[in-house]
Amino acid sequence: MMIGLIPPSRFQLFGATSRCLFHTATLLKVEESGSKLTKEQLKKREVRRAARRKVEAKKPAHTHPLYLPIPLALRYLRAVEVGYPASQQVITATTSVVADRGNPPLAGNVSLPSPLKDVLVAVFSNDDQQLSMAKKKFRCHLVGGSDTISKIKQGEILVDFDKAFATPDIAQELTSQVARILGPRQVLPMAKRGTVAPDLEPILKNSFGSIPFRQKGNSISLAVAKCDFSDRQVLENLLSVQTAFKEAVSNQKAKRPSILGRTTLTTTHGPGIVIDLV
Amino acid sequence: MPSIPKQLNFLNRISFNTPKAHIRLDPSRYSGLKLVFQYENHNGQMGARKFWNQYLPTMKFYNPDLQMDVIRIRNSNLKDDTTPCYLQALDKEGKVIDTLQMKNKHSDTIMDEFNQLFQREQIPEDQLIQLKRN
Repeated sequence: MMIGLIPPSRFQLFGATSRCLFHTATLLKVEESGSKLTKEQLKKREVRRAARRKVEAKKPAHTHPLYLPIPLALRYLRAVEVGYPASQQVITATTSVVADRGNPPLAGNVSLPSPLKDVLVAVFSNDDQQLSMAKKKFRCHLVGGSDTISKIKQGEILVDFDKAFATPDIAQELTSQVARILGPRQVLPMAKRGTVAPDLEPILKNSFGSIPFRQKGNSISLAVAKCDFSDRQVLENLLSVQTAFKEAVSNQKAKRPSILGRTTLTTTHGPGIVIDLV
Repeated sequence: MPSIPKQLNFLNRISFNTPKAHIRLDPSRYSGLKLVFQYENHNGQMGARKFWNQYLPTMKFYNPDLQMDVIRIRNSNLKDDTTPCYLQALDKEGKVIDTLQMKNKHSDTIMDEFNQLFQREQIPEDQLIQLKRN
């Protein structure tokens, strides 16, 4: 249609190549105007976005269109999970975090009134007394010294524990040998994190029954229950998660502590439902 | 977060838009349902899988105390058609009350036969839960 409207003499002027060039030029122009902002403009945009995220996070949960009271949310989630193997029916709570730049990630421990599974603990030491104490008194999952470390390095022992503790005499060896294996899983004993001590008994006592959590990206995610838990058990677990999250915020070493935003409850195969947690 | 209308649709499909499955099984008579069928579709086992996907969540939603077990059997051999495909209703002692064969049936047919075979009560419309965007 368009070609028909242009007079033939004029049409000859626009050869195939020239049209192509015009086209590219316009595309380039659009690209420039879309992305090329000055540094100041970019900074302003970032500030604007951060402010919007803060406002969103401070809104009460029940204003969200996907908000449901927890018992009804659990009914939906259990319905979605029907027929799947029990091991897959895990309920997870995810809370978004709005943090200022440079804030350390939120982290902490939560002890659930009805735990999902036993927490597996590993203890590393060259001190036989400590090892036998860990083995007999606390029945730790993995107990050992230097030979255990070399076995982990070679892959003979799988890293299936959730927590690890060590005495100072072996901490250096752990860091140099298996930091690359244990580090990404957050189970490398470090003095900074309070998991290295000459006497492990008090630490072990406190750690049993509690699960570590940590902020990843802009959210904290934690498995809180299974679908076959009763409503009461799930609510009790959620309450302890709530206190633990708030404690993590108050313990955070930052000028302006992070803000906890919207919380969603979800299952392995289910949708995310907004609930009122923090 | 997903699209909000999409998710409301998803949730309403469970609680509102599946009228055939808006039933309540008599809790004094039934304690659980047990479904056994093949993991794969071949040899007439697709209807059972679709029944599980389309109707079972709604039934679970309106019968929260009813135990529902789904056992799926792996069978990659297309010529082997011996895999069982049935639905059983169990009483409180775990005895089988009724059995419904699901092989070579469409999911809708299975639901219709289920409604005929089992003692159930239709949920009145005012007790149905519908989510709306506020």
